[in-house]
Amino acid sequence: MLGISTKRLSWLGVPLLLSGCNFQARQSFVDPKGIVAQDQYDLFLLTVWVTAAIFALVGGALLWTVWRYREKKTDDPNTLPSQSHGNPLIEIGLIGVSVALLVVIAIPTLRLIWFTNDMPNDPESNLGSWFDGETAEGSDEEPLIILAKGWQWWFSFEYPQLGITTGNEFAIPAGKTVRIELRGEDVIHSFWLPKIAGKVDMIPGRNNNMWIRTDEPGYYYGQCAEYCGEAHAYMQFRTEVLSEEEFEKWVAERRETPKPPAGKDWNEFISLSASAPEELPDTDIVQGARHFFGKGTCVQCHTIDGTFAAGKLGPNLTHVADNRSLAAGWMENINPDGSINREQQLENLYEWVRNSEHIKPGNLMYYDPNGLQNVELSDQEVHQIAVFLQSLR
Amino acid sequence: MSLSTTKTAAPPKSAPHEHDSSKAARSNLGLVRPDHTTGWKDWLTTVDHKKIGAMYAIFSLAFLIVGGVEALAIRAQLAFAENNLVSAETYNQLFTMHGTTMVFLAVMPLSSAFFNFLVPLQIGARDVAFPRLNAFSLWTFVAGAIVINLSWIFQAANAFGWFTPIDGRTDIVPSAGWFGYAPLTGDQYSGIGTDFWIFGLQVLGIASVAASLNFIVTIINFRAPGLKMMRLPVFIWMTLITSFLIIFAFPPITVALGELMFDRVFGANFFRVDQGGQPILWQHLFWVFGHPEVYILILPAMGIVSEILPVFSRKPLFGYSLIVFSGAVIGFLGFAVWSHHMFTTGLGKVATAAFSLLTMAIAVPTGVKIFNWIGTLWGGRIKFSVPMVFSLGFIWMFMMGGFSGIMHSAAPADAQQQDSYFVVAHFHYVLIGGSILSLLAGIYFWLPKMVGKMWYGKLGYWVSATVVVGLNVTFFPMHFLGMIGMPRRTHTYLEGTGWQPMNLVCTVGAFILAVGIFLFLWDLIRTIRKGPPAGDDPWDGRTLEWTIPSPPPSYNFARTPIVHSRDPLWAHKHGKASLRIGSVEPDPHGIHMPSQSWFPLLASAGFFVLGLSMALKQAGVPFCGYIAIAGLGITVLGIYLWALEGPGGFHVHPEETNS
Repeated sequence: MLGISTKRLSWLGVPLLLSGCNFQARQSFVDPKGIVAQDQYDLFLLTVWVTAAIFALVGGALLWTVWRYREKKTDDPNTLPSQSHGNPLIEIGLIGVSVALLVVIAIPTLRLIWFTNDMPNDPESNLGSWFDGETAEGSDEEPLIILAKGWQWWFSFEYPQLGITTGNEFAIPAGKTVRIELRGEDVIHSFWLPKIAGKVDMIPGRNNNMWIRTDEPGYYYGQCAEYCGEAHAYMQFRTEVLSEEEFEKWVAERRETPKPPAGKDWNEFISLSASAPEELPDTDIVQGARHFFGKGTCVQCHTIDGTFAAGKLGPNLTHVADNRSLAAGWMENINPDGSINREQQLENLYEWVRNSEHIKPGNLMYYDPNGLQNVELSDQEVHQIAVFLQSLR
Repeated sequence: MSLSTTKTAAPPKSAPHEHDSSKAARSNLGLVRPDHTTGWKDWLTTVDHKKIGAMYAIFSLAFLIVGGVEALAIRAQLAFAENNLVSAETYNQLFTMHGTTMVFLAVMPLSSAFFNFLVPLQIGARDVAFPRLNAFSLWTFVAGAIVINLSWIFQAANAFGWFTPIDGRTDIVPSAGWFGYAPLTGDQYSGIGTDFWIFGLQVLGIASVAASLNFIVTIINFRAPGLKMMRLPVFIWMTLITSFLIIFAFPPITVALGELMFDRVFGANFFRVDQGGQPILWQHLFWVFGHPEVYILILPAMGIVSEILPVFSRKPLFGYSLIVFSGAVIGFLGFAVWSHHMFTTGLGKVATAAFSLLTMAIAVPTGVKIFNWIGTLWGGRIKFSVPMVFSLGFIWMFMMGGFSGIMHSAAPADAQQQDSYFVVAHFHYVLIGGSILSLLAGIYFWLPKMVGKMWYGKLGYWVSATVVVGLNVTFFPMHFLGMIGMPRRTHTYLEGTGWQPMNLVCTVGAFILAVGIFLFLWDLIRTIRKGPPAGDDPWDGRTLEWTIPSPPPSYNFARTPIVHSRDPLWAHKHGKASLRIGSVEPDPHGIHMPSQSWFPLLASAGFFVLGLSMALKQAGVPFCGYIAIAGLGITVLGIYLWALEGPGGFHVHPEETNS
């Protein structure tokens, strides 16, 4: 008896749980905003309803049976209940009903497998039909393609048609079908942007792809969904969905390369920094840039477009200060209205360079043999690097 | 209880058998067999399936506690956002070891405990077909389990600075997940923890395959006269199917682990992408094993419940043939659905569709079982004993786990659920709500037979209530955590994700569940120490094990029973006279008992040396390669001596002793 009543009690907890659960949470797949996620959610709901119906019937039958046929004080202990041991008609009938219910789920499942796997035929989304800026040759008849790469433990996003590379945050135009090519650069990762589309894995040596489309501009949260080692939990990314015009503006901005903090170009800055540092102004940003290219050894892994910083092992930092998060999404510098909190950003940049080993366990910026574990930087030098990094926008 | 309806004359007096003395016999090697010993020597050399079953149970319950403590540490870390109770590395080791421990060291051996104890008793046999192989399976399991868990000791030694692997990596406890996806398990991404894991699992695989072959031979050949296949208790059928699953499912994982070993130890390139290896190969091999493994964990549970429900409904199992057949179909289809663990790896449309449909199809035989269990209850006279309460809880919880399973089978919807807490909720409902509840039901049901003591008091009901409440409070909210996007195997999460409140609820539930398991162990210990005598047949049972004394004598059946129907004891008590259990004329020589032996233990010890030194070899400990070869030599020597010593044996005369 006790077992039954506790089972019922546990159901009383369900409404309590529902009230404690925010279904609009930022990585919720039950709050879909993209076509793929919406279809996946609809299919999920169908399975929920079908199973809920079976649950009501079978669970109800179980409870009723247990209650109806419980041992009673009035039962004659010398007689036995009916010794029936099967009924082929009932058994076959129940199998038939089960199969029928599964067919209800199977048909939309098959439809959606084909729909999500095949790139939709959507000429309106081809770059040539809407994008006004410069694009790579031969890309007018293609949709926007993003090459998403998973690394331990961060994401890079390349726009081969537009000549842009970003780290951990990227933008897509609203209302356009976008093709995402997925690559794993070391171990297996998985690209999961719950509100826009279900996950597809990034597997080394395997060229996976997916397509996404959403009509709702906004700032969306994603995360690596395949266990990839020590800092797996810290491997997140952000996606900004922009209207067509804003996206074009974003592309134009991202194509601009940062100016040197002193001197007429980066070559002059670097040669002055090496041969005559006293001729450079003694400001935080100049010193920060010198540490970045010099003793900080940052250039071994990071790229800043337009300079000779061309390391490939870490995120591209060309517009790092345009991001609303740092350290693969773990450190946030976003205001409630969605704008960038510059104070927080400077603090985060400082903390990240100073204490990354405490913020993101195992991160390679620190633990790589050439990483910060073997670099001596004073607090002031780290501050200067942070100031320089914040100028990259 | 006297069951003989066949009048037999007193056995003819004959000359005593040559091995009949109670002195220990000598083997063909001239060594003294460790027969008639007592204490630890007896336990280490025993070939008695009941003692081996008891040891499987003790070891698996011990590892259940180890895995449970790991789970509590995981839950404590996740209770609060951005918590730092354990480091990311430790957290990853905890969930890796929790999964590995619970699957290979807790649930599988606990099922094995039931196989060992029950198979000969339920089929009316004196022992399993190969008693020494049975001892070898047990000790090889123990060897593998210790190899994996010794990594914790080496990790502690590392923390004290006494032990540093040559590559300088500090992940000495396995940390690549129980599924060990390549290339994360490659030597460039993980330390010697992965080696402990590889060699531990290889050794465990040997134990499982040896045990399964033993049970298959036993069930097919050692059935009592009249116990036709379609009269076998359902638990025996599920044991048979599970054993076949093990011998077909373990070769793929053995191959996969072998390839991984070659990659790590000898620089091969099965999974190294930069040398043309294919990480996806690991996933196929692993899940060709891994999915049948799920059924290896659940089919014995289904068998146990199918034994308990008829007893406490006082009715035969509804649709016996269909339950047996659906078990076989589940086992068969279990090999055809492995890629549903890989829906997000880019299988392509046709493969995704095929595996999606096959996965849905497996819901049909599973549903059949639930319908038939309800059919068994229908019209019965249900007695709410503790085993019955656990069994009813099993049906309910397993059904809920089955529903989320149906949700996963729709591949596009699964793209959102895969690797999220939704999946964690799903498989804990089927593994705790399914396997563990049913195994607890089985312990409550058969412990009186095993130790001859009866449960007393109401504590068992409190155990069932606490376990079921704890299970639901822990895992029901995880469905919602998955829906709002929390990925599995994450060390911590940001405050802004909104995952904090539910995680706290889950953690509270985990501790309730732990209290339930603690109460269970308390109930178990106090019953073994102070329980009243159980008698031969405390539950009004239906099968042969309830015809013999509790605890059963070493020879099990004084006379081999002759069976005329399914549920022979029930028919004997309540059926027509023609269905009563008969008995075979006793052999005048008495009952032949196998001799005990040290050599299975020796062969298993060799595997322990081999596994441990191969792992330590990777850490750069000197001479370990040679010690590993020596370990293999010990195993070969053990098996050789075991073959040469001969079966030995002696005779017992239960009826003479009784009279």
